[in-house]
Amino acid sequence: MTSPLFKKVLVANRGEIACRVMRTLVEMGIASVAIHHRVEARAKHVRLADEAVEIAGDTPVAAHLDIDRIIEAARSTGADAIHPGYGFLSENARFAQAVADAGLTFIGPDAETISLMGDKISARNFAEAHGVPVAPSVMPTGDLDAFIAQAEGIGFPLLIKAAAGGGGKGMSIVRSASQLREAARLASSEAQRYFGDGRVYAETYVERPRHIEVQVLGDGKGGAIHLFERECSVQRRFQKIIEEAPSANLPAKLAADICESAVRLAAAANYKNAGTVEYILGADGRYFFLEMNTRLQVEHPVTEMITGLDLVRCQIEIAAGSGLPLTQAQVTATGHAIECRVCAENPDNDFMPETGVVKYLGVPEEPWLRFENALDQGQKVTADFDPMLAKLVVHGADRAEAVDRSIAALDGLALLGVKTNIDYLARVLDHDAFRDGDLHTGFVAEHKSDLGPLPLDETELVQLLAAAALGFRDFQNLALGTPEPYSAIGGWRN
Amino acid sequence: MAIKLTLDGKIHGVTIARRHPHLVLVIDGVEHEVSSLPALGDGRKSITVGGHEVSFSRASLRDRQIVRMGGRTFDVGVVDPFSQGGAGGSGQDALKAPMPGAVVSVQKRAGDKVARGEAVVTIESMKLQTALPAPRDGVIAKILKGEGETFEKDEIIVTLEPETEKA
Repeated sequence: MTSPLFKKVLVANRGEIACRVMRTLVEMGIASVAIHHRVEARAKHVRLADEAVEIAGDTPVAAHLDIDRIIEAARSTGADAIHPGYGFLSENARFAQAVADAGLTFIGPDAETISLMGDKISARNFAEAHGVPVAPSVMPTGDLDAFIAQAEGIGFPLLIKAAAGGGGKGMSIVRSASQLREAARLASSEAQRYFGDGRVYAETYVERPRHIEVQVLGDGKGGAIHLFERECSVQRRFQKIIEEAPSANLPAKLAADICESAVRLAAAANYKNAGTVEYILGADGRYFFLEMNTRLQVEHPVTEMITGLDLVRCQIEIAAGSGLPLTQAQVTATGHAIECRVCAENPDNDFMPETGVVKYLGVPEEPWLRFENALDQGQKVTADFDPMLAKLVVHGADRAEAVDRSIAALDGLALLGVKTNIDYLARVLDHDAFRDGDLHTGFVAEHKSDLGPLPLDETELVQLLAAAALGFRDFQNLALGTPEPYSAIGGWRN
Repeated sequence: MAIKLTLDGKIHGVTIARRHPHLVLVIDGVEHEVSSLPALGDGRKSITVGGHEVSFSRASLRDRQIVRMGGRTFDVGVVDPFSQGGAGGSGQDALKAPMPGAVVSVQKRAGDKVARGEAVVTIESMKLQTALPAPRDGVIAKILKGEGETFEKDEIIVTLEPETEKA
């Protein structure tokens, strides 16, 4: 290629994903523009970029949501495209439209597709219309007998929900026909009391659901391919913490069916760029459309690791009008990949976010490991942004090797000075149920009692206390006779 | 020198028993030979305790050490009983008791030269033995509490000869 697809791309994001996008821009010979709030003037993504523009904002997050200023930054620096990363404005239809209206290229789908998939009801209806399974449901009618007859037709278990509801009110699980009438009546009266609207609806209740999603690429003209599925069933506080590709123990036929349905959806939507179709999978093998994310996912590296593709490069090529970079037949998967999200949080206290300073960062280096991050030693971890600090992504010849390597990599990873979930992630991976692939979205809650910190034995305690004591400079000086320059600093506390 | 460390709400004592011929630390009342090995290339450190080698990484915060060892991360705090008495440098002419207790042994005699941080007496408080270090380089003036004698918090146990101004 004689000239790059774009001359300059503004990356409307921060942290690890901004750094990750810029890495591909460098490889493609495309200049990069970073944006940042004042508090991140020296952040890694700013240092990596060829140029940086400060965006004023009451809060750092507000700066990253300021559509007008971000487009102005792209114009003033001469960028010809904007990559939104994930989060922030990545699924904002107004932003995608504003970028297009400014004569720039949005590296993502068009505003219309973002709107279609951004609304749960329209996305569900679109999926259903194109033969993608959605959870069977019976919509409310005025006639209780008719409702019950239809609900029985779906099969059990059923979830009865208030049409106007939320927060679990007016909700119940019904496991047999004999319970249905009474449950519907109760749910309706409860819904009437709480919401002033007694309408209830029923849908298939999926027990121990797994979260399966499919990476797709679309050319915007009805052409679409998939890059296999990912499993993201291990979640806490409704957010993923461990993702893998391919999924654990999914029958090949079922995986192929799910992937094909995702391609069907993307093709029907004339989907352009990289996207992810998310599903709920039941133990009985039934799967239902959940939603479509019209952007690059946090967990995209596991797909990259098994396919050998660079998804950001694919995005850029598609956005530049080069079409799909490969055919479905050319997409192959090798081995197994696992991503662990390293977060500043305390797993022993309901995963509450933590703050602190990254005093020490030690990252193992292996050819099979990616540590996606934007961390600097000495960096403050504040509550300004999401608690995710980094992603540890590991590849293995098979799932067992990927698990073992992930545990070894987590053991070797040291991020000291702010409490993280690193130890916890290793305990999850090492749990028999995880190793067996017995996953569902309630995994963390189900195995809570097995996932606590392990007690220290006598030998370990003595080793730890010796190592800690020798960390205090005065103690170290006296114990080990550290030479002058150190002892001269003095001061008990360091 | 001794420090008290806290881990998960429990207090642990670490005392330098002797440095020669090998470093021996008294950890929770039990002696352990400890040696520090050259740092590993990847930034990790390594020590042997009782002949067993263990590698770890460590970060120092103001009054805490974060130690990562065996794939687990620990937050070890320090309870620093003599920092009030020991951190002053010059002008520190007395060793005060950090807490009520009794003298177990006396390592120095009046007239002995001591270096800052060197153990002068060993005391026991709340079943924890602690060596009291010299607050500065100097010469022992008086030992006010001998073996077996008890004392209250902040009572003076040893005094140093006043410091002479350097020319």
